[in-house]
Order: sequence, then C-alpha cells, then structure tokens
Amino acid sequence: MRATRLVPAMRIGLIAGLALVFIVTIGFVETVARREVLTDLLSLSTTMIGMVAVLTGVVAARPTADAGEPLPGTAALRGAVAGLVAAVVVTLFAAFSSAVDLSHMFPNLRGHAFDTVTFGLDLPVAAVVLAATGAILGALGGILRALPPLPTRMVVTAGIVVVVLSIMEQVFRVMLTELGLRDVARFFYASGALTVPGAVVVAILAALGTWLARAPQSPVRAQVQRVRARTDRRTSVILYVLVGLALLILPQLIGRFPSDVVGNAGLYLLLGLGLNIVVGYAGLLDLGYVAFFAIGAYSVALMTSPQSFLDLQWNFWLILPLVMVLAATAGIVIGAPVLRLRGDYLAIVTLGFGEIVRLLFLSDWLKPWTGAGQGVLGIPGPTLPALEVPSKDPESIYYPILFFCVLGAIVAYRLANSRVGRAWNAMREDESVAEATGINTTNYKLLAFALGAVFGCLSGALFAAKIGVVFPHSFEIIVSITALAVIILGGMGSIPGVVVGALVLVGLPELLREFDEYRLLVYGAVLVAMMLLRPEGLVPSAMRQRELHESDEPEDQYDEEAGVDTGRPAVSGGAA
Amino acid sequence: MIRRLSLVTVTLWLVAAIILGAMIWGSILTLSKGAFTVTQWRDLIINGVALGAVYALIALGYTLVYGILFMINFAHGEVFMAGAFTAYFAAAALADAGMIDSQPVVALAIVFAVAMVTSMVVAVLLERIAYRKLRNAPRLVPLITAIGASLFLQYAFRGLYGSSVRSYPNVPALDGTITIAGIPLRATQLMVIVSAIVLMAALWYLVNRTRTGRAMRAVSEDKETAALMGINVDQTIVRTFAIGGLLAGAAGVLYALIFSHVTFAMGFLPGIKAFTAAVLGGIGNIAGAMIGGFSLGVLEQVGPNLFLSGFGVPGANQLRDGIAFTVLVIVLIIRPTGILGRKES
Repeated sequence: MRATRLVPAMRIGLIAGLALVFIVTIGFVETVARREVLTDLLSLSTTMIGMVAVLTGVVAARPTADAGEPLPGTAALRGAVAGLVAAVVVTLFAAFSSAVDLSHMFPNLRGHAFDTVTFGLDLPVAAVVLAATGAILGALGGILRALPPLPTRMVVTAGIVVVVLSIMEQVFRVMLTELGLRDVARFFYASGALTVPGAVVVAILAALGTWLARAPQSPVRAQVQRVRARTDRRTSVILYVLVGLALLILPQLIGRFPSDVVGNAGLYLLLGLGLNIVVGYAGLLDLGYVAFFAIGAYSVALMTSPQSFLDLQWNFWLILPLVMVLAATAGIVIGAPVLRLRGDYLAIVTLGFGEIVRLLFLSDWLKPWTGAGQGVLGIPGPTLPALEVPSKDPESIYYPILFFCVLGAIVAYRLANSRVGRAWNAMREDESVAEATGINTTNYKLLAFALGAVFGCLSGALFAAKIGVVFPHSFEIIVSITALAVIILGGMGSIPGVVVGALVLVGLPELLREFDEYRLLVYGAVLVAMMLLRPEGLVPSAMRQRELHESDEPEDQYDEEAGVDTGRPAVSGGAA
Repeated sequence: MIRRLSLVTVTLWLVAAIILGAMIWGSILTLSKGAFTVTQWRDLIINGVALGAVYALIALGYTLVYGILFMINFAHGEVFMAGAFTAYFAAAALADAGMIDSQPVVALAIVFAVAMVTSMVVAVLLERIAYRKLRNAPRLVPLITAIGASLFLQYAFRGLYGSSVRSYPNVPALDGTITIAGIPLRATQLMVIVSAIVLMAALWYLVNRTRTGRAMRAVSEDKETAALMGINVDQTIVRTFAIGGLLAGAAGVLYALIFSHVTFAMGFLPGIKAFTAAVLGGIGNIAGAMIGGFSLGVLEQVGPNLFLSGFGVPGANQLRDGIAFTVLVIVLIIRPTGILGRKES
C-alpha cells in the first residue's frame, strides 16, 4: 500500500502556520515588510512568508517510514495540503486578531499586523487567496523535494543569491558605481532592491554557476579532481593573491558605512578565531570570553586616552605587546580555577567571571580608575607615527583589523595542524586517554585559555581604538554568546567557518538595520537549529564532521534497515 | 581516598583560602565598626530568606532535570520569566476587575495557576523541541542548545509582550506586617516563604511517595534498566520538565510579588543564581537545592555589606551579583559535589 500520508502533512502545516503567526505577533513580518527584494514587486516579508510556505511543502514531502521516497504527484499533494493548512491557521488568527484587540498584551499586534500576510485584502477574499497561495507554494515545495538533487540545488541557489544580492544592495551598488559601471548598477538596482530584469539575470547566472560547479559524477573523477586540487598550488596562490588584493581595496570600493560593517564583522571574526581555539580546538566552552574583550579594550583605553587616570597617552602600536602579555596572564588567571571542571560547570563559571569583570568595571569601587558607568573617553585611533593619516574613520581602521584577522587566521591554522593542535584534539576527545598518552592537560588547557585571551584582547583593543570610547555596557554576556554563535554557525574548529559566521551573523544584520531588534532572537534560533540539524556547522572542518557523525553511523545503518527516517541531513541529502 | 596533591590543586585551595580569609577579615572589620544595627542585619536576613525561597524553587527545576538527564537546562531562567510575565496579564486583568481587592485569595490562585501552567508548557515544549533529539549527543551539544534556547525565549517574549517593564498590581491584602515570635515580617515575605515551603513539601511527597516519583528516581538511577522495568522513560522526563516548570512558574509570581515588576530579561540572573544554589546544595539533590537556595539568598543580601563594607568599598551592594558567582567558584573548588551531594563518578 502506498499511503499518501496526509495527516503528517497536515501536522507540518499546522506547525508552519503557528510559526507564521508567531513571527507576525512578534512584529518581525511588519518590520521587514518595508524592505524590498524586487523593486516595486516583492517585499522581504512576502518573500519570507513564501519561503516558509515552500519549505513547509518540502518538509511535508519528506520520505516516510512506510512509503519511502514519495512519487512527484504524492509529494505535490502533501505539500499542497500542508501549505493549505498553514494558510488556514494564519487566516484564523488574522480573523481573531481583527475581531479582538490584543494589542495591550501583544504590543506588536496592532490592528493591521496581519495585513502583510493577508495582502491587505478583506478577510473572506483574503482567506481564499491565502489558501490558494498556500496550496500552490506548498505543492511547489513538494515538487522541489521530489526533483533530482541538481535541479533542486539550482533553484534553491538562484533564490538565495537573488535575496542576498538584493539585501546587500548598499554594498554592491556602491561597488559597481566605484568600478565605473554606473549603467550596470542602474540595470541591476533601483530604489534599494534588485530590479526584475536584474533579478532574472542574477538567478540565471546563479543557476548556471551551480550547474557548472556540480559534483563530478564518477568517484574516479572525483578522486582525480581532489588530487589535482591538492597538487595544483599555482591556482590557489593566484586565488589567494586575488582575494588579498580585493580585500585591500575593499574599503575604497564599498564606501564608509559598509566599511564600518565589515570592520565590526572583523572584530567578531577575531573574537571567533580566539574562541574557536578555546571551544573548537580544546573543547572548553568558555562563556566568559567577553572578559578578555573588556580587558583588551580597557587596557588600551587606560594607556592611550588622555582622559584616563594613568595619563600615559602611549601609542596604540607601542602598547600592543604589553596588552597581549596582559591578556595571556588574564587568560591563565581565569583559566586556572576552572581547570578541574567538567564542560557544563566550566561554562557557567566562566560566564560568572565575565559578569564579575563587567560588574567591577561598572562599580563605584573602581570608579576612580575605570570611570564606572561613564567609561573612558577620547581614545585615539591606531596612528602610525610615520603616517599622518586619519586613523579612526571606518576606511582606515579597516586595515589594522584586516591585518590582525589575517594574522590570527594564519596562527589559528598553523596551531590546528601542529603538535599543540593534535594535543588539544586528543584532550577534547577524551581527557583521561589524552593524559594517559602523556599529554599534560593542565598546561594545554592553560595554553588554550591564554591564546584565546590574546585574540579576545586584540579584538577588544581594536574595538576601543575603533569607537574611541569604552563603557561597561559594551561588555555584556551577549558578546560572548555572539562569538559562540559565530563559531557554531560556521562550524566549531573550522577557520573558514568563523569567517562565514562573522559575515552572516554580524555583517548581514548590520546592513539590515531595522532587523536589529530581532538579531538576538535569530542568534538563539541559530544556536538551537544548528545543534539539532547540523552540529558540525555550515563549513565544517573535516575532523569535526567525522567526530560528530561517528556515533550516528551504527544507528543510521540500523535506521536504514528499519526504514526509519532519522531526519538528519546526511539522510535527507539535497535539502541543504 | 587520597588524591595526589598537584600544583594546581594547591594553588586553587590557596585561592579559595585567600577569598575566604578576606571574607572573614572583612566581616570582622564590618562588625567591629558597627556600621549596621542588629535590626538592619535581621531585616537583611529576612529579605534573604524570602529571596532564597524563590531561588530554591527555581533551583529545584535545575536539580530535577540534572538528576535525570545530567544536563544543565540553561533556559530554565526563561521558563521562570515566561510564567511571571504571562501571569502579569492575568493579574492586571484581575486588578481591573477589582478581584484582587475583593477576593485576594481567589485572584492570587488564578495568577499562580496561569504562571505555573505557562511555565510548564514552555518547559515541556523546550524538552520536546530542543532537547529530546540530543539526549545521546556529545555533552557540549545540549548545553549550547540550551544557551540558544535561553536567548531565543528571552527575545521571543520580548517580541510578544514588548520590551517595557510592567508593574505587577499591588495586592492590598499583602500590605501589612505580621509579627511572629517577635520578628516583624512583611506579609508578602511571609506569603513567599510559606508558599515556597508548601510547594517544596508537595514536591517531596511527589518524589518520595508516588508512582511518578518512583519512576523519576528510577530513570535518574539508570535509564535503560528503568525502561526494562516497564517505565516510560520519555514520559517520565517530560513529567520532570513539567514539574520543574510548575515550580518555576510559582517562583515567578513570588518573585514578582517581592519586586513588583516584570520584564523579558528578568529570568537571566535569577536563573544563574538558582543554578548556583543548586550546585551549592549539591546538584541532583532535592533537599540540597532547598538548602542551597536559602543559603544563597541570605548570603547575597548579607554578604556585600558584611564582607565588603568593612574594607571601605563604596557601593558594596553593586557587587551583589558577583557574590553568587564567587560562591559558585569557591564551592566548585572546595567541594564540587555541594553541601549534600554524593560522590560522583
């Protein structure tokens, strides 16, 4: 019997509908409604809701335990049912919220909150339109799931590229204009979003790119390519030089505000690289990482600012070695008490340290030295005595940040592949075994803390020099959690992962200013979703991937025999 | 058992000894200065006991979950917030209807019910959505999930209910003071302490005298064997989360009665402090959570004044939140199993 399995599809529709109601109720939909994806045609909120509907269809058309991979017709039917149910749920809530005023309880649910979802139509009409749209998009999702992997990937990539390019309009339009391609810029972008012809071109290019970059068919060819990639160093050198050049002229290309955004992403990149050493390499979940960020920022502030009690006014570059020594010491001091603690206790205790550092900087007790709530002002930028350039504007501060990010990435990479890195690996896998093989875990843990602290302090130092003032409230626990989210999204232990994480989680939200209120909500969701669906991260390090799926393997084999869908990405390939 | 003394152990004990020594020295200085009267100390202690009752109720949630799953439910502070924040709307509605003035007992019962049910639902959903799939994952994975869930819940409730601070309506019935054995207690504090003790007694009965409690203890002992004995492990874990949620919801209302305002961010610090209380008492141990909660509450109220003002630290109470963390570090160094904890493998 080939069951159509409509009841599970309806349940998925119900969940999707409730999720939509939730994001409307928290005001998210209304906030992003002001931003367009396609000029005068499609707002970001509509795109988002559409994507939820399609995704609902995709999930509803998953292969099931008893029937396996559904036929395209079944898949489309299931998707349509799920989309329909989601639409019904949303319509019911829209009707309810227009009948009963709930705004005293849910401030974001004022009168017209559901208008974006109901296309501003009257309810009876909206109900029909919504149901039809939901069913069609859901069916589309179902078909997408039933297609072979390559076309699915082409469609998905095209969609994502269009949305991302449209959101990053501020960056790309300036860039195209600076390159002297004013007409091209005008073809692609108008009033803050991609134009329709521009989007079509972009989508076709993205799909074509995916097709060209498709995985080689035969395993032999794949092996040949892998070997060639490893031996052909010339290509990679050229690539590195090109990327390096692009990074060097980037601030000139993209202008002031995007440079500032990239600078901020760079600070978190540095934090992420450091936390990656502590969490990703050594396996010590440090939630008080912000302490080092604060120590770095305050030591620079106190030693360079004319307004600090020290009144030293030393040059930023001169004190940097001193800050690094200070950082390593701080790392050891904070690391020592937690050496004996197991993973979860360690996390909470370090979190406590982070809070204590902030409370101390905020307290009246240390006010004569740290300025308490007033902070330290007037921190000069990282000027080089030889160069008479303004050093605090976003375009200039970008260079020291870039320098330390590159340096940090190289150091982190070399560490990972060194004796020390292997010792950390062993320690993370199993402490007792590591100790038994002669690794001094105490020293290696302290080394991880000290190195992580140096990275954190450097980031803090650059932060202080960049914004020119430090206040205790810049050093809340949320900095640690952001850095954690950065490395989790990219993949623990993976350096390209940290870059991706910093750009996506810190860079992108700053370009979407109105989105700021929901940034932390998204970080939370990212942490949970990544751990549930893809614990190795988006750009996993090879070792981490093996580790995290090692324990699954026997289970998966059993599941395949029994025909149970584990819902893991490894099983439902092509969804990513 | 004799452990080899390593350099690290010695240093850590030294650090702990220095901190404890400073605490005692500070206390002696403060007391010899006589900056506070006996009445002031007594009031601080009473405040501490009332606050400690709230911490103890939240700590029970940590301990119950830890006892069964060996994971720190980092989002438990948000479970507490969810109940208190949602119950605010019930309380405000009841205040508008005049129920709080005319029928305080019924009104408070409704507020408690709303808070407890909300927290329970949040706790159960949390288990179902975020934790269940990760039961056999490497240790850090559920912890990171819990941190994410905590952040998500905080900002989800901020999105739902707004970012403003809401004031709980005043309950006139709890305004006066009641003198017991010569000690004047504010009625709110008495109510907080009494309800916390009642709830703890109920929990003790549930865990030690009912079938559900026996199932919980069995699952905590050994999941596989419990399953072989016909215990529904999933259901028992859900029930554990539900009980933790109910207690956290009640704690939320009690907290709101003491401090009379709620915000979306109110769960974070009490959550961490309650966790400290659970560790102080011995995590996984129910009686320990209660003792830890009360001790931490008192320490936090008395501590900054007692330990720090003797040294002439200005604004000692600003460092109050630091006390909980310092206690946590010292306990974990000297006696990681807590006051009542048993030796863990």
